[in-house]
Amino acid sequence: MSVKLARTLIWVLALLPALVVLITAGERDLADPSAFLNFLGRLTGIAGLALMLAAAILSCRVPGFDRPFGGLTKLWRTHHQIATVAFLLLLAHPLLLMFAAAGFSLDVAVATLLPRGADIALWTGWLALLLMMVFLGPGYRFFGDPDYQRWKHLHRLAAPAVVLALVHTFYLARTLPWIWEWVLWIGLAALAVASIGYRFLWSRRFGRRRYRVTRVDRPANNVVELNLTTEGPALAYEAGQFVYLTPQDPNLEAGYGEEHPYTLSSAPGEPGLRIAIKALGDASRAIGDIAEGSEVRVEGPYGGFFPKISTPKAPELWIGGGIGITPFLARARHLAGVGEAVDVVLIFCVQDEARAIWLDEFEALAASLPGFQVQMHYFYKEGPLNRTFVTERCPSARDRTVYICGPGPLLKLAQQVAQSAGVPGSRIVTEEFDLL
Amino acid sequence: MIPKLTFAAFVAFWASVVTVLTLSALAPDSIAEETGDALPEIDAATLAEHGSLDNCWMAIEGKVYDFTNYVPQHPTPPFVLEPWCGKEATEGMRTKGYGRDHSPAAWAMMEPYLVGIYVD
Repeated sequence: MSVKLARTLIWVLALLPALVVLITAGERDLADPSAFLNFLGRLTGIAGLALMLAAAILSCRVPGFDRPFGGLTKLWRTHHQIATVAFLLLLAHPLLLMFAAAGFSLDVAVATLLPRGADIALWTGWLALLLMMVFLGPGYRFFGDPDYQRWKHLHRLAAPAVVLALVHTFYLARTLPWIWEWVLWIGLAALAVASIGYRFLWSRRFGRRRYRVTRVDRPANNVVELNLTTEGPALAYEAGQFVYLTPQDPNLEAGYGEEHPYTLSSAPGEPGLRIAIKALGDASRAIGDIAEGSEVRVEGPYGGFFPKISTPKAPELWIGGGIGITPFLARARHLAGVGEAVDVVLIFCVQDEARAIWLDEFEALAASLPGFQVQMHYFYKEGPLNRTFVTERCPSARDRTVYICGPGPLLKLAQQVAQSAGVPGSRIVTEEFDLL
Repeated sequence: MIPKLTFAAFVAFWASVVTVLTLSALAPDSIAEETGDALPEIDAATLAEHGSLDNCWMAIEGKVYDFTNYVPQHPTPPFVLEPWCGKEATEGMRTKGYGRDHSPAAWAMMEPYLVGIYVD
């Protein structure tokens, strides 16, 4: 399934109830401005709830489910877009209904907006909307950059918000033909509940594998590579994928028992796992001191950066920078393990020589793997990456599939450079590390 | 772009809510409606004569309404309303059959259909 098709399908599913409302709308809904505003008020409520449920369905994090969406980071982007449209519609929903009621009098308008006494329907609606403001606000940076763990905890309020919104709708539903009302809401709600249930119950108990830290390598002063081994069934994964890692070492200064996403730097087929971690926050800084022999839990794999083949059939150009070099390290290790000739050029972008982590290993891989070249780009010498640099170091760039991974600014720049070098957008693949 | 848009919508939402609440708190109360005196009294027997969908009166909270022309506009199918035609229907109005009151707008919509005062 293509990325476009997967995205289209989830949007169609999310917009289906609104579509049914539009198809079954009658003359009554357009009779006068009040009736029309009331219709829009109901339509925004229905569309908003359905989109909210679709966003919940997307948050399941079943390994492999993210693949048709182009990996988990891209799946999250679709999740954000759907949730944003839901939020905007649900903000408009009570206001539109209030404006519709203002056709009778101001008092009726206020009575429509505010719950009184034991009016469960309105209280649940308001509570759901207020919860939405609380758990979505940090994602939009309403009050500055959120702390990752606090944001994650806050985001769990999405579950009660969805339940409250469903109760609200159960009391007020009258727009859709009743059979649709039941089929659509029960169908969407069941999928959302299954999804949240998987994420918070099933995966915690059965989805996380126990691994043990055997060694901690330090390729740079702010980067560690954990070597893990397991006695249970090993994780099956592909080069360039990532996992959620939960350290179980109680002596850690930060991040004990918290899950964080990290890229696998090992090659599939290696006896254990290797995970490369750059100190970017409290937990990733503290994990450098994790005790050898301590237990970690591994959930995944996620992501779909590279195509599902063990050796590249088409020529590839890799542009990586910072800790974004990790998926390329994994793929290079994997290709070297397979041992067949490849046609891959890596442009490794770093500030200076001191930050060229794993360069020795990349050079050794380039020496042993026929068709694999490494080109270094030092910012302090060359300035920002540009088309001339890319086409000089890789004259056939335009005929290659380009894979880009790195910090935000490099990601954007490398994409522009690849396009200016004549690579069509359909052959540019990016992977970013963002709030996961 | 998206964070700015949602933040603007968030602020606009609360600004609208506060504006309406302020207006409603400051505006003078609407003048009490002068209905009732001039309307005829209608008893249960008369009410019962209007007990079908094409001639549908209902008594709600002491007043009688002629909903004949409204029936086709009601959101639920007509068979939901039919049992209440020609009867005291306050319960139907207050509970919709599942414990949920009609909206304030629905209550306000009834006024034009008022035809009399209900006497038991």
